[in-house]
Amino acid sequence: METFLLLAHPVTGGLATLAALWVFVDTLNAGESSVARIKNISLICAILMWLTYFLGGYFYVVYYYADKAFIKAGPWAFGHNFFMEAKEHVFLMLLILATYLPIAAYSYVPSNKSVRKIVLWVAGLIVPTSLSMEGSGAVIALAAKVALLLKVKGV
Amino acid sequence: METTEIGKYTKSFGLSFAITSVISALLVILKETNEATVLAWMKTATPHHWITHGIINIILFVALGWVLSMPNSGQGLKISANALIGNIVASTLISGLLIAGFFI
Repeated sequence: METFLLLAHPVTGGLATLAALWVFVDTLNAGESSVARIKNISLICAILMWLTYFLGGYFYVVYYYADKAFIKAGPWAFGHNFFMEAKEHVFLMLLILATYLPIAAYSYVPSNKSVRKIVLWVAGLIVPTSLSMEGSGAVIALAAKVALLLKVKGV
Repeated sequence: METTEIGKYTKSFGLSFAITSVISALLVILKETNEATVLAWMKTATPHHWITHGIINIILFVALGWVLSMPNSGQGLKISANALIGNIVASTLISGLLIAGFFI
């Protein structure tokens, strides 16, 4: 279960990022035929982000304490002290931003430049923020790996 | 024909995100600097302080989004797209910097 959660949450997070990127690109080149797609993919982005929240959150609350102890005792303590602490709290903001995306996209029509601009900015903010979550996750995983390797080697 | 009208929920929940995001970042600083009181309460309210934090954010986002859709006889707030985007972008940057800056 632990390994599944560890693998599943960056996958759903990555898919949510791709969905936001899809919305951004589709909105840039929007026509009448893309309206339904933009609304649907916006909703999918939000659903995937919520799934990421539950999968990652469950891992964080139930299993992470063991990794945390290793990371904090290892040479890459910043993996928890900065990257995990920032990640877990920035993600809460990202979750709300992703929830807002379908709300903004719901009233989108190609002739409405104001809503188009809002959807572009929101989707455009989700992509780099999500990528920073993925990057932080990689640093945290590496911090745990470095700590465990040193323990195995008896350093 | 080109239109510029923004839906009332697009405006209200956009502003709600901006406000909630900054409050959430401030709550991070508040709970981490008041471990014996704020953090302790958040730990007892749910199995984990992070769960409490998430629940507070979601309740705030929904409540503010709903309340901010009420003004002007239910027509919602009067705010331009550029101002709304400015609030959303500024809030995202400020919140991110507050959180990252606090943990550096």
